[in-house]
Amino acid sequence: MSEAYRRVPETRYGRLKRLISEFANDHIRLVLLGPALVSLVVIFIYPVAFLVWSSMQRTLAFGATAEFAPTANYEAMLSDPTFWNAAEKTLTYSFGSFVVTMLSGLIIALALNNVVRKRLRDTYTTLILLSWAVPLSIVGVTWRWMFNGQLGVVNKLLRDLGLLSGNFSWLANPETAMAVVIMADAWSRIPFATIIILAGLQSIPQETYDAAKVDGATTFQTFRHVTLPYLRPSFFVAGLITWMFAFRAFAIPFSTTGGGPAGATEVLAIYIHRFGIELFDYGFASAVSMFLVGVTLIVAGIYVNVILEQLSEIEA
Amino acid sequence: MSGRTGLDRYRREQRLGDALESPYVVHLVLFLAVLFIVAPLVWELLTSLKTNDAVYNFNYFPRNPTLESYYIALFERGYWRAVVNSIIISSASTVVVMLLGVPAGYAFSRYRFPFDNLVFVFILFTRLFPPIGLVVPYYRIMTEFGLLNTKLGIVIANVYLWLPLVVYIMRNFFITIPHDLDEAALVDGCTKIQAFRHVILPVVMPGIAAGTILTFLYSWREFLFAFTVSTDLNSMTIPVSTFLFVGDTSVQWASMAAAAVVATIPSALVVFFFQRYIVVGLTGGLKG
Repeated sequence: MSEAYRRVPETRYGRLKRLISEFANDHIRLVLLGPALVSLVVIFIYPVAFLVWSSMQRTLAFGATAEFAPTANYEAMLSDPTFWNAAEKTLTYSFGSFVVTMLSGLIIALALNNVVRKRLRDTYTTLILLSWAVPLSIVGVTWRWMFNGQLGVVNKLLRDLGLLSGNFSWLANPETAMAVVIMADAWSRIPFATIIILAGLQSIPQETYDAAKVDGATTFQTFRHVTLPYLRPSFFVAGLITWMFAFRAFAIPFSTTGGGPAGATEVLAIYIHRFGIELFDYGFASAVSMFLVGVTLIVAGIYVNVILEQLSEIEA
Repeated sequence: MSGRTGLDRYRREQRLGDALESPYVVHLVLFLAVLFIVAPLVWELLTSLKTNDAVYNFNYFPRNPTLESYYIALFERGYWRAVVNSIIISSASTVVVMLLGVPAGYAFSRYRFPFDNLVFVFILFTRLFPPIGLVVPYYRIMTEFGLLNTKLGIVIANVYLWLPLVVYIMRNFFITIPHDLDEAALVDGCTKIQAFRHVILPVVMPGIAAGTILTFLYSWREFLFAFTVSTDLNSMTIPVSTFLFVGDTSVQWASMAAAAVVATIPSALVVFFFQRYIVVGLTGGLKG
């Protein structure tokens, strides 16, 4: 076949085309994978290297100049009480969102799994997915608007129900401000958790349930001894992702409260943004970034292990 | 005696369990969940139909529904351009991410090469790397290369953000397609590229749809990099411009709600039409 193919007189264009196609065939891995990997090196590895380097530079005079001081920024960070405040707020925020998201996700997924008609289940899923699709800053400004002290609908509802006289400034009070941003964050994260948990529920073979029923197990016993063990992997993955992504959240707390009042909701992401982008203290912001990256990578390591196990099970 | 109380408890538990699984309880739970999800969106919609002054009247429903707030947001402030920017940026990001990501996912599903597992783990880590950590370097690099306040700058950031995810999802889709299909194509005289383009790609179309929809939605939702790179009307996205209302001394709440509704409508439409693909994509293509 190739003989006949070669004997056709070639135009210059045809020859080029053949050479390209032969090259692609001989270096298939390079052609398929090269562009993606080169892009990632340029737009990921390079900025990461830049981050590491700049975390070891002490920034002088509004980011105009810097001097090499490998540990100065880290020392400044560790001895700065505002950093520890931000770290504490981040933990409260991420665990708060984690608890609300996972509990709601589990309950909603269990309910969805009990809807028999597929059409109806899809309708519910679509409606629940809505909050996930809302742009993140829109989530923030929406909750900011609902909980506004003077004009907010929440205050109005509570007044009309007789639960509140006068107005309450939700976002001016440290505790309630944190509660509001946590709810806003969970609002946007619940759909994802629900979908992952639901996928886990649907992978449980029906026979297992039937067998439990025949043996006379109650709903609770079935849940405890059939559902939970099967659900563990997907619940774990959903929980890890939820926590990890809430830990780094920027858009939602930033657009809901901007970190206020007086730093009460200033999570590390906002803290980094403030020092790095608003105050031009690149070195200090980079050191804080390195801290956040470090914590995330430890958790990510656990996640990657679990995912690789799952993948090898599926492919086996 | 104790056997009897045990049986009673068992029956009680069974009745309670059956009650919890009854359609009434199930639908009540789902109704409350949907209410919680939808109520804030409905409130934004109702607010957007009022005027900026009518917001101070404390009515739940707009007395005289009007599109004035939309006019102020889109034309007086010129945010229609942000909508156009968002469409251009999200579409361009999606095209680039898919062009780079689909072949890479295929390579991971089919070929062995030095350090292939290590490279795959690197891709997973890239996906999990916190983007906030790269904001300061990106800001400085973009300043250096003159990419601040450009659409290109935001597209580059989006490619970094979503390419690893698409490689991962596409790999999982390609894995589900039997290798025999490639081999049959090769035996029939296809080159490896032709086998990929004309035989495998058509089969994996649902996966490509899932990847495309997910990338578009994620790019549309994105705030952090879009905000850092641009707050200029030539290149900022609609989520960023909606947020800019917050900085005003007296916030035009109704117009902000109008901008929020405009920013949410495309997302909502995508969810309504492509719910199935989104679910498949979110579960990482693992559900098939």
